[in-house]
Amino acid sequence: MQNKGFAKHYYLMLLPGFVWLAIFSIVPMFGLVIAFQDYNPGVGVFHSDWIGFDNFSYMFSLNDSRTIFFNTIFIAVLKIIANLIVPLVFALMLNELRITVFKRWIQTIVYLPHFLSWVILAGILLDILSYTGPVNQVLSLFGVKPILFFAKASWFPGIVVGSDVWKEFGFNTIIYLAALTGINPSLYEAAAVDGATRLQRLRNVTLPGISATIVLLAALSLGNVLNANFDQIFNLYNPLVYSTGDIIDTWVYRTGLLNLQYGLATAVGLLKSVVSFLLITLSYILASKFANYRIF
Amino acid sequence: MKRKAGTKMRYVKISVMAAVAASLVFVSACSDKSSGGSSEASSGNGSNSGSGGQTNSGKPGDPFGKYDQTVTIKIGQAVDPTDKSLPAGDTPANNQYTRYVKDNLNIDTQVAWQAATGTNYDQKVNLSIASNDLPDAMVVNDAQLRQMAKAGELQDLSDAYNNYASEPLKKIIDSTNGVAMKSVTFDGKMLALPNVTVQADGIHEMWIRKDWLDKLHLQPPKTMDDLEKVAKAFVEQDPDGDGKADTIGIVGPQSGGHMYATFLLSTNNLYGFDPIFAAYDSYPGFWLKGDDGKPVYGSIQPQTKEALAKLRDLYAKGLIDQQTGVRKDSSEPIISGQAGIFFGPWWMGYGPLGNAVKNDPKANWQAYALPLDGNGQFSPHVGTPSSQFLVVRKGYEHPEAAIKMENLLLRDESKFDVSVAIGNYPLRIVYAPNDETEFTVKALREVLAGTKKPEDFANNPEYKLLNNDVNTVKKVKLQPYDKMDIQYWKPTADWGVWNRMYSLLVGDAPIVDQPMNKVPSLIYSQTKTMESRWANLQKMEDETFLKIILGAAPLDDFDKFVKDWKAQGGERITDEVAEEAKQ
Repeated sequence: MQNKGFAKHYYLMLLPGFVWLAIFSIVPMFGLVIAFQDYNPGVGVFHSDWIGFDNFSYMFSLNDSRTIFFNTIFIAVLKIIANLIVPLVFALMLNELRITVFKRWIQTIVYLPHFLSWVILAGILLDILSYTGPVNQVLSLFGVKPILFFAKASWFPGIVVGSDVWKEFGFNTIIYLAALTGINPSLYEAAAVDGATRLQRLRNVTLPGISATIVLLAALSLGNVLNANFDQIFNLYNPLVYSTGDIIDTWVYRTGLLNLQYGLATAVGLLKSVVSFLLITLSYILASKFANYRIF
Repeated sequence: MKRKAGTKMRYVKISVMAAVAASLVFVSACSDKSSGGSSEASSGNGSNSGSGGQTNSGKPGDPFGKYDQTVTIKIGQAVDPTDKSLPAGDTPANNQYTRYVKDNLNIDTQVAWQAATGTNYDQKVNLSIASNDLPDAMVVNDAQLRQMAKAGELQDLSDAYNNYASEPLKKIIDSTNGVAMKSVTFDGKMLALPNVTVQADGIHEMWIRKDWLDKLHLQPPKTMDDLEKVAKAFVEQDPDGDGKADTIGIVGPQSGGHMYATFLLSTNNLYGFDPIFAAYDSYPGFWLKGDDGKPVYGSIQPQTKEALAKLRDLYAKGLIDQQTGVRKDSSEPIISGQAGIFFGPWWMGYGPLGNAVKNDPKANWQAYALPLDGNGQFSPHVGTPSSQFLVVRKGYEHPEAAIKMENLLLRDESKFDVSVAIGNYPLRIVYAPNDETEFTVKALREVLAGTKKPEDFANNPEYKLLNNDVNTVKKVKLQPYDKMDIQYWKPTADWGVWNRMYSLLVGDAPIVDQPMNKVPSLIYSQTKTMESRWANLQKMEDETFLKIILGAAPLDDFDKFVKDWKAQGGERITDEVAEEAKQ
């Protein structure tokens, strides 16, 4: 139907994206070879000594590697689940509100933290949860001894997931609200005429109406499973919570940048990339199967 | 407010670093490209760098010679974000010191990049090493120096040093009996200019609120038992008199801080527990001579377990800051007048005490060489004379320019108006004879007592600040001159002078007056295996010890740590240390 000139415009519009991708994502991939080298920055990639899989075998010999892989997956999976359920429930509740001004107001308030960086939010969190912070002051009213939240490894994943949900659920809520507006109002009217209660309307009209969106978001988030969020954890953690809080990204940062072990850090990063790649492929297959979401 | 601004800036810096770090893989990849380019460039320049340096300098070999044509040096610069001493319009990149360098040497310092002092600066240096994108000159630490030497990124400074270093500079470096020079010599080449610091920087003392002691009718704690009693009184008996149970006994390290100085970072550890460990004859992080003459690592010795058990006990009783290891900034409770005891080196007048006294003019912080060990002695560990290294990028045409800047600093530092923080001097590394602070304290005392006049100290050029010190001390010290409590000082007369005088006369006094049994480390730099294994061992140590002290892990985890430490490279490293200590 369309002539060829029109299609060319589309390709032209893709160009900036491709250039960006090439410069920042594809070219740097060649740097991954230093995972197999005793990398020496002075002589560069081409002249550093090759050491085969030494970095990988050392990586697997460290107790750390099991911990960080587990932590990364554990925290990321918790986040995915929480970030799927909380905004959904919240959107459904918001959808039932009939006072538009009130609804908009709430929507804006919960959306706000999304715009703050983790650097700022972490500072706020550390203060709120500090030994003399408001949370402990409230607890002391009930006779609870002050708790040093950030010194307890068992609390850390909870704090990380909780604060992440707090920051992002407003944003995700909007996606669901958009899906909710797409449901034909006459379906609700028909259900009401048939005598369905609010809960029944929710179960039989609303949920089926947005199920595709839920599945799509769930499937897509799988590709993110190894991104437990460097920014957040880096700003919150300390040696006391390494056992439950140290993730691949923070470990790579400390090892590679702080301790100048580039090869080892890259090896770990590479492994993460490989696993991520598999998961993205999987999530794409799932998305196309259940939500009919296809790029190609 | 000031502090907040600083913190915020630090956060911003951290976030930038974080973003950079998140893409470490990309960074290392980019380095490939840039290294290809710059290594070509450097080999091109490298051939004529030796002679190139001398053609443009006024008189060849003159340590203070002014260049005929302006020489540009691009530097990596550490900036103290809390520093408010620069007058309006001046910046860390353009201030009285950079202009002084320009006027006297015709060297134009340009800033390649800046980073906040401390961790941020280290990260920035690491990043520039990793990407092989180096400024002409910068100041690095031991691990970074080694990495750069291995990577062949450094200019050989042997000729520049021999031809251009001033006599006092050479004298100071020689005063370390070759230690400083050995630390920068690789395959016979001098790859950096080592600094030399006063020995006092490596000795950690107990700082305590004497006004609190007086109020509660207590004496400075001599033994560990005394220390516990005093800390308990500080926590429970409301020494600040506000009716609230909000006081802290002993301040501990902040998040990312160090519990003790180590052989790699052997000096200037703030808020650590060094003297407490020493009281148990424990020297974690140090390489000691074992009973059989072979090197042993202090952190895995039974004495360290004993010290940890005590610290754990103190923490559980609430006598050590409950937010130890988690707090963003441990100077905070000291400045706000919440805390009674902390450990640090002599120069705390430059540190948190300035602000503490600004907040509460009665905060009478005094220093003691305490607590004593089982033999009734104070046995501190001591650091290395050289911990900072001035390096020059391979292929930079004027390696001697960096050395000339240090010559000038050493010669003229006493003339500078130091109300502008001296940290703004480009590429500053500290040069001081080993006994500078002790010598100065004795001189100041004689001047105050009237037994000598300031003029009597005119002929000691290697003690670069002495002349100024003896002339200004009476500005801030009130009579009687032999009493050092805070009410006998007038810091408001000149805070800059007070910072120094209080640090010397109060902070350094115990080092002058009290005989000490000094414990050095066998080595102060990394061995071969450490390059790849130490980071992991260090992390394990920090994590285990902090957990033990804070009660998050049982004390017996120490034994597991010792076993793991040996198995994961510690034994091999111990052999290497033995090898190196022999030389």
